[in-house]
Amino acid sequence: MFLTRSEYDRGVNTFSPEGRLFQVEYAIEAIKEGSTAIGIRTSEGVVLAVEKRLTSPLLEPSSVEKIMIIDHHMGCANSGLSADARILIDHARVVTQHHTFTYNEPMTTDSCAQAVCDLALRFGEDGREEDAMSRPFGVALLIAGVDEKGPALYHTDPSGTYVRWEAKAIGAGSEGAQTALQDAYSKMMTLEEAETLALKTLKQVMEEKLNSTNVEIAAVTAKDRKFRIYSSEELNQCIERL
Amino acid sequence: MMDFGTPVLEPGSANGTKQVPQFNPYQDNGGTVASIAGDDYVIVAADTRFTLGYSIPTRKISRVLKINDKVMLGTAGMQADTCALHKVISTRMRMYEHDNNKRMTFNAVSQMLSTVLYYKRFFPYYTFNIVAGLDDKGEGWVCGYDAIGSFEQRKIVCNGAGTKLMQPVFDNQVDWAQSWDGAGKPNLSLEQATDLMKDAFTSAAEREITVGDTLQIYKITKDGIQLEEFELKKD
Repeated sequence: MFLTRSEYDRGVNTFSPEGRLFQVEYAIEAIKEGSTAIGIRTSEGVVLAVEKRLTSPLLEPSSVEKIMIIDHHMGCANSGLSADARILIDHARVVTQHHTFTYNEPMTTDSCAQAVCDLALRFGEDGREEDAMSRPFGVALLIAGVDEKGPALYHTDPSGTYVRWEAKAIGAGSEGAQTALQDAYSKMMTLEEAETLALKTLKQVMEEKLNSTNVEIAAVTAKDRKFRIYSSEELNQCIERL
Repeated sequence: MMDFGTPVLEPGSANGTKQVPQFNPYQDNGGTVASIAGDDYVIVAADTRFTLGYSIPTRKISRVLKINDKVMLGTAGMQADTCALHKVISTRMRMYEHDNNKRMTFNAVSQMLSTVLYYKRFFPYYTFNIVAGLDDKGEGWVCGYDAIGSFEQRKIVCNGAGTKLMQPVFDNQVDWAQSWDGAGKPNLSLEQATDLMKDAFTSAAEREITVGDTLQIYKITKDGIQLEEFELKKD
């Protein structure tokens, strides 16, 4: 499969005769190596749940940041190269703050996803642009936020595409998890049910046994429009419900 | 008058005088903008006289920019800066609509204008603005600005040449400030507010030479924006 690509898979801005950009496709492959992340939207809010890969018992789990807050009403989970995620999230934080500064209102989730994807496309070879990247970002984000239109969940990928989802899984276990979500998701779900479904789905696809140190969960609620990463007590309560 | 520098002689240099170049990039083109906000409406009024010193180059210019069906911007001061500012605000408004897939709210416009003005803190637009509009609940509001973006949200604001004559009348009639009998605030209807606006401008035109010609009154309600024109003194 890869042999046939050898001529066109080097340049990040060279199309293959079939009209594909292989480096972008490889970047999307990189995400499939990443730890699994799940997002579920309900009318009450959006839940994000991620698996943390703790490669050594000596590793400090709290230093593995898989869920990050963007603005008070928005946050995201990532899968893929975490270092690339930091760049995108830094950008999202700047953009949301700039929006509040200029317009005295919180940015919508849609606009934020769009702003992140604008940056995702700034790669190329000539390096003429000061802030251009030499390769696509190897990370996918699940952006969860609440605005005047209600809770929303967006998925962004290295091609700069952003799509809105009711429930989405990314990372190594995404295929199995997405099927599980498709079977179990309902529009009528409560936030609590979404927490349970997210953890249950993670449990199915994780190699390790799920516990309070190797998963992280966060939610943004329609009621108070605040994004919050759960404390270990709250996480334990969610796990106990499984 | 635009003045790029007749040198002015100043005492103090080696031969007893020194030449200081003068640069006056500003001019005052008069004009007044005012707005009264009610529970379910807001009206924006501006005269159309364009003055330059004691002359009137034009009797019919617009000082008002429609942002959308719910928000308008009125600008007094220098006409060239008014045009430049209105162009910037129009472009920014359109870009906001593309980026965010929604109309700018009154709140967003009022903060954006302040930011735009402050970005030119050290070479300001010589403009005195009001932003009038209906908020998310449909209530009328107006923000008054100085030239560098400091602003306040109120129910009645007046800016420009006629301010000194008109503002105390508005304060008394709309906000019931300095009322001699201490009675409660009157809740002006759209018609009462329009009549008060006509009276205020007619009076200002009587005493302030840069106010006159035609009064444009834009009435913003939930049904949209309506323009009424009212003739003022032309001398």
